[in-house]
Amino acid sequence: MHTEVFTDGYQPPRMGQFLLYALVVFLFLLFVLRFWYLQVLHGEYYSRVAHDTRTRSERVYANRGIILDARGRLLAENRPAYYLTLISEDCPDIPATLAQVSQWLDIPPDQIRIKYRQGRKEGKFFEPLVLAADVPFERILQIEPQLFLWPGLTVETRQRRYYPQGELFAHILGYVAEANGEELKADEELRLGDIVGKQGIEYMQEKRLRGIKGANILEVDALGRPLTKYQKALPKAGVNLTLALDIDLQRAASQALGEESGAVVIMEPDTGKLRALVSHPSYDNNIFTARLSARDWASLAEHPRHPLQNRAVQSVYPPGSVWKLMMAGLLLEQGLDPRATVSCAGYVSLGSRLFRCHRQGGHGQVNMMNSLILSCDVYYYEMAQKVGIDAIERFAKACGFGKRTAIDLPHEHSGLVPGREWKLARFHEAWQRGETLNIAIGQGFTLVTPVQMAVFVSALLNEGKLLKPVLLEGEEPEVTGTLPLSAPHRAFILEAMRATASSGTARRISRPDAVMGGKTGTAQTVRIGERRLKKNEMEFLHRDHAWLVSWGMKDGKTYVVVVMAEHGGSGSGTAGPITARIYESLFGPLTPPGRQQVSREGGQP
Amino acid sequence: MISGVDRRLLVHANWPLLGFAALLFLAGIVNLYSASGERLENGIRVAPFFYRQILWGGIGLCALILCTLFDYRHLKPLAFPFFAVTLLLLVLVPLIGVRVSGAQRWISLGFFNLQPSELAKISTLLMTTTLLSRYQSPLDWPRFSLTLLIAFLPCALIFIQPDLGTALLLLMLTGGIILYHGIRLSILKVCLVVLPVLPPLGWFFLLKEYQKKRILTFLDPSQDPTNAGYHITNSKIAIGSGEIWGKGFQEGAHHLLRFLPEKHTDFALAVFSEEWGLIGSLLLLTFFCCFLLCIANTAREAKDRFGSLLCAGIFFYFFWQILINIGMVVGLIPVVGVPLPFISYGGTATIVNCILLGFVLNISMRRFMFKAR
Repeated sequence: MHTEVFTDGYQPPRMGQFLLYALVVFLFLLFVLRFWYLQVLHGEYYSRVAHDTRTRSERVYANRGIILDARGRLLAENRPAYYLTLISEDCPDIPATLAQVSQWLDIPPDQIRIKYRQGRKEGKFFEPLVLAADVPFERILQIEPQLFLWPGLTVETRQRRYYPQGELFAHILGYVAEANGEELKADEELRLGDIVGKQGIEYMQEKRLRGIKGANILEVDALGRPLTKYQKALPKAGVNLTLALDIDLQRAASQALGEESGAVVIMEPDTGKLRALVSHPSYDNNIFTARLSARDWASLAEHPRHPLQNRAVQSVYPPGSVWKLMMAGLLLEQGLDPRATVSCAGYVSLGSRLFRCHRQGGHGQVNMMNSLILSCDVYYYEMAQKVGIDAIERFAKACGFGKRTAIDLPHEHSGLVPGREWKLARFHEAWQRGETLNIAIGQGFTLVTPVQMAVFVSALLNEGKLLKPVLLEGEEPEVTGTLPLSAPHRAFILEAMRATASSGTARRISRPDAVMGGKTGTAQTVRIGERRLKKNEMEFLHRDHAWLVSWGMKDGKTYVVVVMAEHGGSGSGTAGPITARIYESLFGPLTPPGRQQVSREGGQP
Repeated sequence: MISGVDRRLLVHANWPLLGFAALLFLAGIVNLYSASGERLENGIRVAPFFYRQILWGGIGLCALILCTLFDYRHLKPLAFPFFAVTLLLLVLVPLIGVRVSGAQRWISLGFFNLQPSELAKISTLLMTTTLLSRYQSPLDWPRFSLTLLIAFLPCALIFIQPDLGTALLLLMLTGGIILYHGIRLSILKVCLVVLPVLPPLGWFFLLKEYQKKRILTFLDPSQDPTNAGYHITNSKIAIGSGEIWGKGFQEGAHHLLRFLPEKHTDFALAVFSEEWGLIGSLLLLTFFCCFLLCIANTAREAKDRFGSLLCAGIFFYFFWQILINIGMVVGLIPVVGVPLPFISYGGTATIVNCILLGFVLNISMRRFMFKAR
């Protein structure tokens, strides 16, 4: 069967064979000695180390930075909260302990068990896992005396965020809540049960507010009872933040807006500081820091007016006639003579379509100044055909529209400045001439946020600097762009706004003790029919958005106020009185008070 | 007639080797049960890898039997093609490999992730033994260099994955086979001079930051900023606290070894020593030594040079792993990711171990065939 008999003479290498046996002996002796050394010679020592004492690291929570308003009043603070935690390795009978906890706290046993399993999955060994967060103090008083019967259970005092102003600052501050799985994975500093900012400033400034956790080293005996405790690292408190916003102004602006949905922005044009930033309707952000019930969440998420939305930065609206300020600037920069007139007959026809002016009979001969004061649409229909969509798109983008203002709030909307390329990409269609006409009066696809408007108007007043809207008091102004408008042209537009506020569509805000400027806007949400319907003739969601952008100067102080009432009706009729009331809180109430009364009843101008 | 031959084959098989291997595997299973048990609300839950290890053992046994069915000399012509395919796979790993926690070691076959470095262990072993079996006299410089070069190819490819443990193991394995075969005294002298110079060179040119850190941590555990010396310290505490008689089955793991993240793989021996004490440790050590002696015996009794060399290679394969793993667990050498054969959990390792055992049995079964004529 086999023929390789010639291998008969083979002898294995003697030295090699010797090497193998020697290595086995070496292996045996080496490890016998080592095991003897560890388990006999030092066995007792290691036994003691393993059995008697062991050390455990305990986290010490850092105080989250508090948040103050411009005058040092509390907007976000920390209050003590009690957490019931379990170290499962120290607990001899986990089912019984969980049942006891459920009985103490009136929480269904299943819920506690789920919480335990979740914690078990994510936690490390000997790490306390939170069974119940934010237990009421009265309950803690009942539980505490019995706690020694239940090894493994402890009451930890941590801190809970509280927002004294609630709804008023909810959109700006946002809220904190327990970190979810994704956040835990993304940030190594976080542990199960830790609190992180989820929205607003709490989210944007999370790293500064959070601080750095400290650690204690606990020496515990075999039963888990702490013997000694010493500090390894002190916790480092988070940074306290002071906002540029003012509680009084914020409240006044919120009250002025009343029941309307919408937004108010009050900005200082020289520094970009926001003094108020209101979004209606709002919500109480305190409900998020406690356990948010499913019902609360559903009522917020499904509310038809979307209270969670920050309308000042996250919502976009067509700008309506307010857009004419930008358009006038473009015409001036294109070298158009502001004295040139256009004849307004109440409509312009382009092809088969009729483009109406908001005033049915027309404005007659209109020059640029009057086109702003009277808000004549026809003037801009005519002019837009001369400059074309490309110039409008370029100029509007240079004015800061269509991109984010860089405000330090999450999910800011960039708005939209449409153009040929955008339309081709979005709809695969060529640009229509008629659309240029719509864009010229701030309708069509054009979308802006209230904050973008405030930045634009501020730039008219501060020598053309587009500033980042600043929320924090100490922050330096940051220029994000330059308005492509020369000084005389800016002055022309400001003069037009002044005239509009004194005798035009925005005259509702005029006051004798201050220099005021304004521009109204009534942005359609649906196509105009044969004639413009009155506010109360339309369904709520079909009503126009009411805009009023304005500025006021008094005693060397200048403010920009932008009011946007969602489906509020007309700019002058709805936004006008709101803006006037805001200036009363900025510049003091008007004397005599009788006048106010009269105009409020006076209806729409 | 065939049955007669079969019976003679079975009689000549190295049964003690199989017996010790079975004992070791059994000890590994028992230990795994304890090491992977987890205390839950209601009693103890055994992790799935306990059952999986038994399954792997079954698959391994089949592989072992398959490896005894043919005459081992048929392996010789296969050595080179097998080696070439392995090299090709190793080259493919960086190109199409799957990346798992920073290292790229696997090629996805859809239903199974193939780890070419495991194949490389077998194919490099076969390649070097086939090559050396052609030389009768101690190696001279050209032959020595050629053998080293062949070993270097897979080593370099595995090193860049990066997998320092396997690369070193392959290198040491080849070194062992060369020493067993014999080299000229002049080469041995040069090697003795050069070898001490290599580690510092490797330190500066080859090692990655985390690998350097492990070694530094080993040299001075107290200087460790990120608790990387934690494994060694806790492993020593676990073993030491077992004392002479041990803490008993399932009594140890629940205390201290929760601190050991790899208690079912690389640090499985720490669990064993804690629970079974010095008695258990020495018994296990004895099993390992007897196991190695059995392989050495087969190397001595083999009928040809190829058989001897293959046995010696397999001896070194197990020897280095045992030395490195136990050395690491008892705190004599730095932490290197090398499992303990039969005791650590691992599917591929179990199968590779079984295949190599099959080869040894094969050689022992056919050692007298030429006399049967």
